Amino acid sequence: MRRSIAFLVLAVAAATMLFWLAIHQVSGFWLDMALRPDVRQALERSMDDQKRLRALDAEHADDYRRRFESTRMLLHRLEVLRMSRAQMLRRFELLLVASFALAAALAATSVWARARRAQARERTEYLDRVAVLQETARRHAHEIKGPLAAARMELERAADGAPPAIRAALESAGDELERVARFIREHASFAAIGAPVLRPVSLEQAIGEFCTTFANAWPNVALRFGGGDATVCADRDLLRQVLVNLCTNSARAIDGDGAVAFSVVRRGAKIAVDVADTGGGIAESLRARVFDPYVTTRRTGEGMGLGLSISRKIMLEHGGDLELVESSPAGTTFRLTFGERECS
Amino acid sequence: MGRVAGLLALAMLLLPAGVAAQQRPAFAMQPGRVVAAALPASILSDREVERRLRSGLTATFVLEAKQRDAARRGASRIEIRFDLWDEVWIARRVEFDGKEERQRIATRAALEKWWSAPLRLFAAAADRVALQVTLTVLPFSPAEGEDARAWISKTGEAVGEGSPLIAAMVGTTVSAKPIRSYRWSAEVAAP
Repeated sequence: MRRSIAFLVLAVAAATMLFWLAIHQVSGFWLDMALRPDVRQALERSMDDQKRLRALDAEHADDYRRRFESTRMLLHRLEVLRMSRAQMLRRFELLLVASFALAAALAATSVWARARRAQARERTEYLDRVAVLQETARRHAHEIKGPLAAARMELERAADGAPPAIRAALESAGDELERVARFIREHASFAAIGAPVLRPVSLEQAIGEFCTTFANAWPNVALRFGGGDATVCADRDLLRQVLVNLCTNSARAIDGDGAVAFSVVRRGAKIAVDVADTGGGIAESLRARVFDPYVTTRRTGEGMGLGLSISRKIMLEHGGDLELVESSPAGTTFRLTFGERECS
Repeated sequence: MGRVAGLLALAMLLLPAGVAAQQRPAFAMQPGRVVAAALPASILSDREVERRLRSGLTATFVLEAKQRDAARRGASRIEIRFDLWDEVWIARRVEFDGKEERQRIATRAALEKWWSAPLRLFAAAADRVALQVTLTVLPFSPAEGEDARAWISKTGEAVGEGSPLIAAMVGTTVSAKPIRSYRWSAEVAAP
C-alpha cells in the first residue's frame, strides 16, 4: 500500500512537471501573440498620423486629439501588460499547474480510496469464508467424534483376551482411528477459535516471554527478539497462538538449524511485529494463496494447512492483518499488524 | 610620457568617484529641521528611466527617508509624464507634508532644472541626523495600472468568450515593478 502511494505521488509530480513544461511554452506563445511589437508599431504610427492630420486640418483638431488619446490609452494598456508579462505568466502557469495538481491528487486519492475499499472487502470476504469453513469443521468434528469414540471403545473391548494375531490387527486399526482422532482435534480447534478479548499488551513483554517459554519447543530453531516496544490492544493467548503457528511453519521450513527473529516496528500510525525466519522460503506458486485454508506443502497426514488461515483470522479480528512481506530461499518474513481498536 | 600615464591613471581613479558623486543627491536641512534632497539629473538620464519617460506613461519616483537613530521617517513623490500630443512634460511633486506642485514643462533642460530643486522629505528630531534614503523608480502610476487592470478584466466580457476567472487573475497580476532602485546614507546638519 505504502509503495503504491509513493508511486501515485511520483506519478502526480511527474505529470504536473510535464504539464507545466507544456503550458510554459503554450501560454508564453499566446501572451507574446497579444503583445506583438508590430501591433505597438501600428498604434504608434496611427498616433503620428493623428498629429500630422491636426497640422493639416486644424478645424478638426479636437477629433484628431480624441482619436489620438484613445489610441494612446490602448498603447499604454498594452505597455503596462508587457511590463507585467513575466509576473502574469507566472501567475497563469501557477493557476493551471495548481488546477492540474489538484485534479491529479483527487484522481490519486480516488484510486487510493478504491484500493482501500477493495482491501477492506477482501478482508471481510476472507473472514466470511473462514467462518463458513469453521462451521463446517465444527459440524464434521461433532458428527465424527461420537462414532469414533464408540469404535475405539469397541476395539479396546475386542482386544481384551484376543489371540495375538487378532490383537495386532486390532491395534493397527486403533492406530488408524487415532489418526482420525488427531484430524478431528485439529478441525475442532479450528472451529473453536473465539473472538479476541482485547487488553493492553506490551509487545516487548509478550514476545520476550514467548521466546523464553518456547525456547526449546522447536529444537532446530533459536528464537530471537530484536527489540522495540509498543503497547497494543490484543488478546495475549490468541497472539501467542499466532506466534506458535508461525514458528511451527518456520521450524518445518528450516533445513538444519536456523532462527526466527521478532521485531516491533511502526508503520505510520500502526504498530506491527515482523517475524522473519531463515527457512527455505515459500514456493512462488503458493505465495498468493498462502492464507487460504487447506493450502499446504506438507504430505498427507502431516497437517491440514489451517495454521496460517487461523492466524490471519485472529489478526483480522484484532482489527489488523497478517501479511506475507517477503519470501526467498534465504527466508520468509510475515508481518502482524495491529489495528486501532480500543481495548475491551 | 610618464607624466601623461600618471594623469591617465589618476583620471581613471577619479572617474568612478565622479560618476558616484554625480548620482548622489545633495541633502540639506532647511529651517524647521526639514530635510530636503536635491536629486541629480543623472537619474533622469539613465537609459531605462529615459526609455520609460519617453513612453508616455507616468514614471513615478518614490523617495523615502528614515532617520537612523529614531523612528522618524518620511516620503515624497515625483511623477513625470511626457504628453505625446503636445510634446511637453507634465510633472508633479508631492512632498512629505502633502504640499503639491504641478508643472507643464516645455523642454528637457527645464525639466532637469525643475527635477533638481530640493524636495522636502521629513522633519528631523534634531539639528544633526543620520539618514537612510531610498529612491524607487516605478514605470507607471497606480492610476495607469488600475486602468490597465480594469481594461483586462473587461476583456472576457467584451469578447463574449473566455473565462472571467482568467481575466480576473490576469487583471490582478498587473503591478508596477521597480525599474531602478537607489539607496544612500547621509548625515545632515542644520546650517
